[in-house]
Amino acid sequence: MIAARLLMIASCLSLVLATVQAATDDKHTIVVKDPHYGEVLFYFYQEEYFPAIVRLLAAEKQARVEQHADEAELLRGGLYLSYGNHLEAAAIFERLLASNVSPEVRDRTWFFLAKIWYQRGYFDESQQALDKIKAALPQNLRREATMLQAQILIDTLQFDSAIALLQRWDDDSDWAGYAKFNLGVALVRSGRVDSAARILDGLGSISANSEELTSLRDKANLALGYALIQDGQPTAAKTPLQRVRLAGPFSNKALLGVGWADAELERYHRALVPWMELRSRDLLDPAVQESMLAIPYAFAKLDSISQSADHYLNAIEAFYEEINRIDRTIAHIESGDLFDEFLADEPLDSTGWYWRLEKLPQGPEGRYLYHLLATHEFQEGLKNYRDLRYLYSNLDDWQQSIDVFENMLDTRRLVYEARTPRSRSALGRADVDSLVARTREFDSTLDNIERSGDWLALANEREARMWGEIASLESAPALASDLTEAADVLTRLRLLRGVLQWRLEREFKDRLSRVRRSLRQTSEALVETQRSRRQVELSMRGQPLALDGLSRRVQSLKPRITGLKIRVADTMVEQRTYLQNIAIDVLRAQKERLDIYTVQARFALAAIYDLAATVGAATE
Amino acid sequence: MNADAAMAGSRSNEGAETESRDRFRALDRDVQDLKTEVLNINRDLLLLEEELLFPANSQVAFFVSMDIGEYFDLDSVNLKIDGKEVANYLYTEREVGALQRGGVHRVHMANLKTGEHELIAVFTGRGPHGRDYRRGATMKIDKGIGAKYIELEITDRVRKQQPEFVVREWE
Repeated sequence: MIAARLLMIASCLSLVLATVQAATDDKHTIVVKDPHYGEVLFYFYQEEYFPAIVRLLAAEKQARVEQHADEAELLRGGLYLSYGNHLEAAAIFERLLASNVSPEVRDRTWFFLAKIWYQRGYFDESQQALDKIKAALPQNLRREATMLQAQILIDTLQFDSAIALLQRWDDDSDWAGYAKFNLGVALVRSGRVDSAARILDGLGSISANSEELTSLRDKANLALGYALIQDGQPTAAKTPLQRVRLAGPFSNKALLGVGWADAELERYHRALVPWMELRSRDLLDPAVQESMLAIPYAFAKLDSISQSADHYLNAIEAFYEEINRIDRTIAHIESGDLFDEFLADEPLDSTGWYWRLEKLPQGPEGRYLYHLLATHEFQEGLKNYRDLRYLYSNLDDWQQSIDVFENMLDTRRLVYEARTPRSRSALGRADVDSLVARTREFDSTLDNIERSGDWLALANEREARMWGEIASLESAPALASDLTEAADVLTRLRLLRGVLQWRLEREFKDRLSRVRRSLRQTSEALVETQRSRRQVELSMRGQPLALDGLSRRVQSLKPRITGLKIRVADTMVEQRTYLQNIAIDVLRAQKERLDIYTVQARFALAAIYDLAATVGAATE
Repeated sequence: MNADAAMAGSRSNEGAETESRDRFRALDRDVQDLKTEVLNINRDLLLLEEELLFPANSQVAFFVSMDIGEYFDLDSVNLKIDGKEVANYLYTEREVGALQRGGVHRVHMANLKTGEHELIAVFTGRGPHGRDYRRGATMKIDKGIGAKYIELEITDRVRKQQPEFVVREWE
């Protein structure tokens, strides 16, 4: 029995949840009473959730974790949660959380379920889970839970409720920045630009000391800048847009926006400065693409017609090449190999829900889908696809094993059929029952010997022979004579007989008990032999039944494996198609935008040529 | 230009979003169902495999466990039954971590006839002060009818600041 450093029954779940946070602070100890429960923990601690669940299910079915029955089910819920089987997990928690765990563990569990459900787009379920949280969440999780609540409200278009919730935010933690940003988002989306501007302006002016906060500040400035441009306040828009870092994820869009603010003010020379900067940047970025049209537009406004025409021509050529690249990428995605390439470097047995694909493979797809990677929809879809691949490979392995099991059973049946006649014949020859009867007979003889004190009966072979010889010599006619020699011999014979008798009488009890002990041992051995024989017979009789039982199980499992494998393969195709469609939609949107830009560029170019022709004709 | 487009969480096409989310959820539910069914069939197959390869009457399972384990950094466990080597398991850092936290590793399963058998377990690793450490422990196994579980336990003897290796029947 081991006294291991484990968590208390009630904290099993917090242990699972603590894994999420990569920290455990519980120092309680319990004793692993059932080895199979410890085995489940062995896999769980290695974050190998699939084998952990399978072993727990098997152990529960075999009643091998009875001493851990209470925590085993809770652990199973936690394992399902870690494995991403959130619906199974929730069913267990619904049943157990009310009474079995502390309020803190219960609230943390509902919080994590709410988070998973939100990320998977189960907004109603996520909201229900949040509603179950009472008041026992630690402060950092409480903030995150409030943010989650606000996001659900925004995503379900309940802007007023989201605004009311976020306006009550009253701490200055890192979360406060996100709260302000989301408040700004909710205000803009509900049409209250001025109120949003105040919030976002405050957030856009903070002194950020981390990349995360700096990025948030840039995002707020960008959102504010564009909101102001759209609201017809280009001068005011420039300040927040110019606060965005020149090198960062939002810099291209900010540079574009600064240019548009100047263009709105008809300061085209100034507008060209940020737009020309964008020319050297990655054409994949929509802001860079838009700048390629904005630049000739500004030149045209400045009456630099030939420069404008050159830039329009450059833009058309660049858009054409980019469209071709997108077409090739779409074709590659449609071929269906892309997502397997994504997962090629991922170990097949990484089964945890907390997994994320961090890095896209090299190649054009990676460039185009970079932004997609950051979305829950894509990540969760990819996670499902990864899990399906694992399930398929698992079933594939079992399909091969089950054939081996079938062969094993066939071989055992053949061996049984070959050995049984020999075994039956051997058993038939061994007449154990008559041996038992003989020991009983012998026992009764011993009783008679003991009762009659028949010491001669216990003489050994040599003694018995000697006794017989003495007796026969004594009765020899020669010794019946009156000769002195005959009398001497007779005397010696009597002496010898007396010595032999004396020894046999003296050792009678010892001999009797030795014989009895030996007889008892023989009887015991015979009883054991009878028991073994019965077992052999039982086993021989039971073997075909046992083999039939195992065969039936094999036969029922085979079609189940095949059926499941087909369903997994079908769902894999559906999941892959779903992911392909998301990716292709993103690419088509990019292509459509480029098509529109190309048309705009061609029109603008045609207009320039018309103008040039008109001016030329007028000059002539 | 669209100010909304710059905002996180903005939705340019709510209808398409909802449709896509519904599609995702429908697929996700299918995946959840499949996961549950595959887990259940794995349970059935695991039990079948065990009954087939290690029938309850002859089954003996050997489990490695660790209580604290501060004085011993486990590398491997070697098992001999009746003089014959049956298992030699090399532990990864991750597995040792799992043992230290209370996990129990089923290192070997065997079929043994009823009667007496001798088990020799040899543990190798690093002991106190990082020195190479190799220790053995033996046990007479009296195998009767029914499965038997043997525990190979590594514990700390705090007073001597040394690891201790115990082999015994799991009760």
